Amino acid sequence: MSDTKDATLTPGIRRLHEGMARVWANPAGLGALTVVNHTSVGLRFMVTGAVFFLIGGLLAMLIRTQLAFPDNDFMSHETYNQVFSMHGTVMMFLFAIPILEGVAIYMIPKMIGARDLVCPRLSAFGYFCYLFGGIILTSSLVLEMAPSSGWFMYTPLSSGDYSPGRGSDFWLLGITFVEISALSAGVELVVSILRTRTEGMALHKMPLFAWYILAMALMIVVGFPPLILGSILLELERAAGMPFFDVAGGGDPVLWAHLFWLFGHPEVYIIFLPGAGIVSTLLPVFARRPIVGYGWVVAAIVIMGFISFGLWVHHMFTLGIPQLALAFFSAASMLVAIPTGIQIFVWLSTLWLGRPVMSLPMLWIVGFLVIFVLGGLTGVMLALVPFNWQVHDTHFVVAHMHYVLVGGMLFPLMAGLYYWLPLVSGRMPSERLGKWSFWLIFLGFNVTFLIMHWTGLLGMRRRVFTYDSAMGWDIYNLISSVGGFMMSAGVALLILDIALHFRFGRKAPQNPWNADTLEWAMPKPPTPYNFVSLPRLETRHPLWDDPELPRTITEGQHGLNTIDHGRRETWGSDALTGKLREVVHLPTNSWWPFFAALSLAVVCICLLVRLYPLAGVATLVAAVFLLRWSWENGAHPKAAPDATVAPGQPPLHSRTMNGPGVWTMSVAHLANGSFYLSLLFGWFYLWTVAPEWQMPETSPLSLPLLAGAGLALTLGSAWLAKMVRRLRRHNDSGLGGGMYLAAGLGALQSALLGLAIWQAGLAPSETAHDATLLVALAYVLIHALLGALLCLLQGLRVGYGFVGAEAPLEPVVVLRLWYYNLVVYWSLFVAVWVMPTLLGGAS
Amino acid sequence: MKRLLRMAHPIHLVVGPTIWGLWFVAIYAGLSVACSVAPPTPEQGMLTGINIAVGLATLATTVLLLGLSWAGVTAARRAGLHRECYFAFTSAGVYLFSAGATLFIGYPVVFLPPCI
Amino acid sequence: MDAAGPAAQDQFWVWWAMLTVSLIVAAVVFVLWLFTFRRREQPQRTAREERRIMLRWVLGGGVALPVASIIALLVFAAPTGRGMLPLPLAEGEAERIEVVGHQWWWEVRYPGANGERDVVTANRLVMPAGEPVDFRLTSADVIHAFWIPRLGGKRDMVPGRHSTVRLEAESSGVFGAQCAEYCGAQHTHMLLHVEALERDEFEAWLAERRSPHQLRDGFDEAQEAFGEHCAACHTVDGFPEELIVDDMSHDIEGPDLSDIGSRPTLGAGVLPMEEGAIAYWLQHHQTLKPGNRMPPHNHIDTETLEDIGAWLETLEP
Repeated sequence: MSDTKDATLTPGIRRLHEGMARVWANPAGLGALTVVNHTSVGLRFMVTGAVFFLIGGLLAMLIRTQLAFPDNDFMSHETYNQVFSMHGTVMMFLFAIPILEGVAIYMIPKMIGARDLVCPRLSAFGYFCYLFGGIILTSSLVLEMAPSSGWFMYTPLSSGDYSPGRGSDFWLLGITFVEISALSAGVELVVSILRTRTEGMALHKMPLFAWYILAMALMIVVGFPPLILGSILLELERAAGMPFFDVAGGGDPVLWAHLFWLFGHPEVYIIFLPGAGIVSTLLPVFARRPIVGYGWVVAAIVIMGFISFGLWVHHMFTLGIPQLALAFFSAASMLVAIPTGIQIFVWLSTLWLGRPVMSLPMLWIVGFLVIFVLGGLTGVMLALVPFNWQVHDTHFVVAHMHYVLVGGMLFPLMAGLYYWLPLVSGRMPSERLGKWSFWLIFLGFNVTFLIMHWTGLLGMRRRVFTYDSAMGWDIYNLISSVGGFMMSAGVALLILDIALHFRFGRKAPQNPWNADTLEWAMPKPPTPYNFVSLPRLETRHPLWDDPELPRTITEGQHGLNTIDHGRRETWGSDALTGKLREVVHLPTNSWWPFFAALSLAVVCICLLVRLYPLAGVATLVAAVFLLRWSWENGAHPKAAPDATVAPGQPPLHSRTMNGPGVWTMSVAHLANGSFYLSLLFGWFYLWTVAPEWQMPETSPLSLPLLAGAGLALTLGSAWLAKMVRRLRRHNDSGLGGGMYLAAGLGALQSALLGLAIWQAGLAPSETAHDATLLVALAYVLIHALLGALLCLLQGLRVGYGFVGAEAPLEPVVVLRLWYYNLVVYWSLFVAVWVMPTLLGGAS
Repeated sequence: MKRLLRMAHPIHLVVGPTIWGLWFVAIYAGLSVACSVAPPTPEQGMLTGINIAVGLATLATTVLLLGLSWAGVTAARRAGLHRECYFAFTSAGVYLFSAGATLFIGYPVVFLPPCI
Repeated sequence: MDAAGPAAQDQFWVWWAMLTVSLIVAAVVFVLWLFTFRRREQPQRTAREERRIMLRWVLGGGVALPVASIIALLVFAAPTGRGMLPLPLAEGEAERIEVVGHQWWWEVRYPGANGERDVVTANRLVMPAGEPVDFRLTSADVIHAFWIPRLGGKRDMVPGRHSTVRLEAESSGVFGAQCAEYCGAQHTHMLLHVEALERDEFEAWLAERRSPHQLRDGFDEAQEAFGEHCAACHTVDGFPEELIVDDMSHDIEGPDLSDIGSRPTLGAGVLPMEEGAIAYWLQHHQTLKPGNRMPPHNHIDTETLEDIGAWLETLEP
């Protein structure tokens, strides 16, 4: 806040700052659990992620200690198997993804000129899910019950027969919990980037970092649901004996591999894209010129985002899939070299045409380049099927993936850390200690993993807890271990450097690196509201084109510079042009996200110890908290009861028909749709491929009941759509009653569907057919109930006056859900009733 | 809706790879189903109905994407605003890549038999 | 890296070619990047010139270079994998050997043609040298992977499915093989001893095992103990059925022991076979290979175990 207390501010402006500070205040003490502000939540994500990094690193050191010598008995095979499974799991799920989300949550609003993300309570909820999930998962290490089936959890090794302990349950439940957090961050990042950029920042003018994060967030939204589905199915198999992955019951273990890698491969790019985004942000600053080929980079990002979904089978080249199918995936994997090559040469030509200076962040970027290029080259080699057969599951792959992940993610992250540290703390890091830690980590890394390529080519497999001295691998493993410890020393030094800088760092100037992006126009350390006034920007390089911005922003010369209304506000702008469309009023601190996450944690623990009735109760409690949270919206007294805005400003978003809420719902349905498509994929996959699939001659489901439920849903949707059309014409007569009618139709649909399920007499623990059918029907049933419930609440809200012609947003949002239900219901009807009836029972 | 059809709309950044993705899913799923329903004998080599169908689908998709790429270039030339030119041209690049990717990925049908 | 078969040999060359190209590419990129930091003077350029330079770099390095490399890979290197596919041979048929993965041992079967008996053995694979052999793979429990590094690539063994991989050993010799897909506690100790023999030796080896077994006399007590403690899981060809006590408490399948005396290792590569090794294994198997599926034998006295061991050592074709 030091900058805002400048003596130059007039009393009026000072009052504005004080008002902002009051409205955006983060409570201390217990109240800190209610904080929803993106700066605080982002920081929490990053600090928690760093802690998990240290835990994961510790596990890595245990692995290297064990493998340093042949026939070592430092750890038993059981401990070792748990340790390497948890190393992968912690690093991927609890460190890499969350810490990058943290960076995005922290930086994105600051870079696009917003005051917060579009769903602040969702950020807080996501954080608590992550924290609780992470704690549950890592507690298994302390309890010595950690999962030991590898981070990829292949069935049937991870299923009940071969992993009877609780380890797999810890993994499945903990990871699903953490993924909720990733999804919520993904959804709100997409909507924030598209809809809350500051005035005038058209899509093609936004910083490249925002493009990268947009792609990452969309990939999370589409890529995570397959694994969530897989985890749910596997947990159902373990807990209720539903044989999705069991050959004897008509399932197929390869289905798990598909679902896992459908997520697992995009995940690699989800991790790499933000890393590349950091490079594309920092590199022009140190090259002292704008990046060349902005459009090339955007095209490369789009291509990477899509191609990465066409690669998943390259983790399964040895599974015995037809060679021609493998060749498609192999070719697709090679294609990734093109967008990567484009980015590397765009960076090169930016440096070539600029006047680059070396500095600590730049040093990390050079380290990134060296390591990542090597990892990328071995990646192209691995894309080649026959070569892959030779080195798959050897230390060659271990080396390759560490080159890609550490090179593509950790090094850019460290560059970003040193680059943005002055922004967070207001102080500059130390060059000398920083260089030491860089060289230790860089050299340590290469000593560890370069030699490991060779160890792998010599035939050393992955995931072995020891090896025989006669194999002749002793010296290579010892070298790798020494390198590993060098790297740890570097990490220790890095932590020391960061810790010391808070105390001894020299005070940072306003724009220490002479950067071009908007975050450097903020006060340091940042205020929760980021900018006291939101500037109009039509350039990709705001601070290079107008170095006065920090001053004019602080002096309140730009938009949204009033606070007497007491609302937290930011701009809602057009996704394409950046023209202003509405004033988004954001919720303030709230207990509901914490309580909702806490009750979900109780659900998770109850499932873990198999207290199912209690889990059911806790689920209901969580639902109540979530609905209560949604209640405090729109015209609710705790949100924005008064809709007056300053003259000339656009209306509040809850008073429009197309606010960001509609977008949030749509993006959430993208995730939901991905989940549903994965489920359909599972159904058709088992149907066509599973060796022992059994399907009854005629469908066990009653056609009249199914058709009746579908009819109720269709009528309800049409009715709801009619009411929304009338709202659009500003007509809200009979809205409340209409909502109750829609709720009634939803309830009817649920009842008929429930009856159909009950009548079918499925035996889900006998055959995979019945199990899959049951899960699919339960999925539509839950959606039907949700549709009914939301309409019921809308009816109540109309009665309270929170919804109506003046505040018409929410029915539009609910209608989206009904449309989604409509598509899902009828397509599922075709998949599970029409097609089996037409094609007959046998597989 | 009409707006979305114009090549200068950013939606075209993702249409190309989406078409590619649909094609990819179609050939992979089609191949898997065909191989589990009616696998040709290995003696037939590459000259099977499956390979030919996949090959034709590949060529058709490639031509479609090339055409769209060309439409993007034309639209970029005619565009008035910088923004429109920018998006049309970038989309054209992505379409071109998608076309190349389709051809490249479909190529193995000439040297691999389908179901082994 | 010491290739002994055509499939591995191809990949050996593919690897060195890829490595060479990769190193050149990497070196050029690094040098170019670092070079940009060395230049102090920067000529004045118009936006148009800058654009041209950028396009040259990006089109040349970012597009043309990877496109050329991956086309070369797809056209020249990708077809090298065809040799491992069970395509019809120009003449005759490839020898077929079935391998089944178990936690944590290997079952190897030589199916008998026209009514002959299958030959079944464990943790040892004997194959003819100098000709292609089709391995038909599956698993009895979790996913394993069959890999003879010096002969070629690996293939997963998936429960409920069979997949076939073709390998060839150029000349006779002994090769190590191992499970390459993580399969649980003793994944590390799941090794397979592979021997390639000349065709006639292979035929002889097989013929010995095709004919019915004669158990040696003089081991009555050992056989009785074996029937009581071991025969529920382990098969010995020709073992008198009346001696088998199946208490139905185990549903585990143990390795077939019919020719155990002639095998080179015990416990899937844990111990070398020598006199007394089986008895030692029977007493200490849970320390030698902790977690393996054979129950501990604490309730059986040492003498009996030694008897059983001594008898098992006589089991040779």
